[in-house]
Amino acid sequence: MTTTPAAVDLTVDLGRGLVLPNPILVASGTFGYGIEYGDVVDVDRLGGICSKGTTLRPRIGNPTPRVTETPGGMLNSIGLQNPGVDAVIEKYSATWATWRVPVIVNVAGESVEDYVQVTRRLEGVPGVAAIELNISCPNVGKGGLQFAIDAGAAGEVTAAVRRATDLPLLVKLSPNVADIRPIARAIADAGADALTGINTLSGIALAPDRTRPLLGNIYGGLSGPAVKPVALRVVYEAAQAVNIPIIAIGGVTELADVLDFLAVGAVAVQVGTAIFADPTLPVRLVDELAAECRRMGADRPGALVGTALPTRTGMPSSKGVEYRP
Amino acid sequence: MRLSAAELVESREILPGQWIQAFHAPGLAIGSRAGQFVHIRTGDLSGMVLRRPFSLNTVDPLSGVVTIHFRVIGRGTEWFTRLRPGDEIDLLGPLGRPFEVDPRSQHLLLIAGGLGIAGVRMLADEAIRDGRQVTLLFGAANAREVYPSNLLPDEVEYVVATDDGSLGHHGFVTDLVPAYEVWADQAFACGPAGMLGTLAKQAVGRRQRLGVAKLGRKRGGGKAVPLGSPAARRKAFLQVSMEQNMGCAVGACLGCVVMSVTGTPQRVCREGPVFAAEELAWDGAWS
Repeated sequence: MTTTPAAVDLTVDLGRGLVLPNPILVASGTFGYGIEYGDVVDVDRLGGICSKGTTLRPRIGNPTPRVTETPGGMLNSIGLQNPGVDAVIEKYSATWATWRVPVIVNVAGESVEDYVQVTRRLEGVPGVAAIELNISCPNVGKGGLQFAIDAGAAGEVTAAVRRATDLPLLVKLSPNVADIRPIARAIADAGADALTGINTLSGIALAPDRTRPLLGNIYGGLSGPAVKPVALRVVYEAAQAVNIPIIAIGGVTELADVLDFLAVGAVAVQVGTAIFADPTLPVRLVDELAAECRRMGADRPGALVGTALPTRTGMPSSKGVEYRP
Repeated sequence: MRLSAAELVESREILPGQWIQAFHAPGLAIGSRAGQFVHIRTGDLSGMVLRRPFSLNTVDPLSGVVTIHFRVIGRGTEWFTRLRPGDEIDLLGPLGRPFEVDPRSQHLLLIAGGLGIAGVRMLADEAIRDGRQVTLLFGAANAREVYPSNLLPDEVEYVVATDDGSLGHHGFVTDLVPAYEVWADQAFACGPAGMLGTLAKQAVGRRQRLGVAKLGRKRGGGKAVPLGSPAARRKAFLQVSMEQNMGCAVGACLGCVVMSVTGTPQRVCREGPVFAAEELAWDGAWS
């Protein structure tokens, strides 16, 4: 294992006291509550851990099958199975408090009040570094996605949680929308400290005999390398629409993906699906990014951020997604 | 659980479309028990983003060789068949909880449906090593799918059922079980969900049928046996090895759950893959 060059400063300051030790995080839903991979991953070398989506009350989740591989990706439909926020705090927060790595609790709900209640319970809990609002889960009936596809609703839930906590607040964007920019702006205006995105794309797969959809919930969320171009586009557009930091997620499997996301304006990335194939990837990316910075003569990854964005700084178009031939 | 590289030492198609592959993995061979599994990465990382789970089919601690047994059902398993001796794979394991044999059990009934043989095969080796008697009931669609008897230890009594009657009993393997209910001290099964569900129903009430006296509890009420504990499996007549589509295989993604009798989803990769049959809800009770 190579060591991080002393000359490169990998820290990422997201404001409100949240400083990531490096820009490589692990994504919600792919790393449990941080303890599951403990035998094979040194969690304290990560830039951050986004927990499994956590709700006010326990949820048993969706019927099986819940996951299936697709070309260059996978569909999942877990349905936010989790033991509820109180049990999560009781079971895991004491362990989190002993870690250097910031744990960002992913919060999901069915109503604005749900999000506020969960957030209030996390406020002041040692070991909880920040909150990531999951307003974009495509796999639950009520709530979830409905907040992410409408700028007004996204702003409303963000503002309500903002009023309820001083914790750093991240909000996760959905790609299942016509235009991400007004939604990103509404979330930023409502007081979010950073945006993360993208969540999964809604999709289905069929049973081998083609008599029905394969997943127990019919619909699942697509992730993995297959979604990277979509994530790149969403981050590219959001980065030009807001002035708060963006943490990119979507199909990161190698250093080139990290560099691509930095180039379209992200300050950090989350690794998700690729962890299942290679749990050691995120830590390796930390080392590779440091080496790349040194090779480029950059003293911090910030120098690599936004290099692919247009230089003009006018108001972004309000005409929706622009597809250029 | 650990990540390690393993070298393929032998690969052969034992039945049409069914393969047994042997890997040199000394670290894995020492700490593993029957019922556990490994999660193996394919070489095609851009197309196939998930590892593939395989039961540990046999393990030889002396030579450090472990085998897996699989049917070619898709691109992942097809990729494995193209491996050649000397090729290296990346393997995560051992994973999951093993079968638990009650120290008092002398007669073990193993029940396998088709490829389910891979889930209980290693238990036959362990049981014979420990001086127990083993009967294996095996069910398949037809004679061409029947597991070759020369791949089993000589000590195993091997009884076959085929759906079409082309070999052995004409019918389901579950038809054979009642005849062994008295003989068997414990039963261990792996196979299609329908087969396991039938076995679970058959096991209910066995103690009453056999006239096992229900004695009063020991003073102090006896110890409660928590759901999913090794003791719960050790006490059970029937243990089953479950299968589900799997993501991480370490308990992080919650992709591979089965429902317990108490309405709590259990992770096949972490609480399983071996469960006491009475711990699970067999009527498909979800939501």
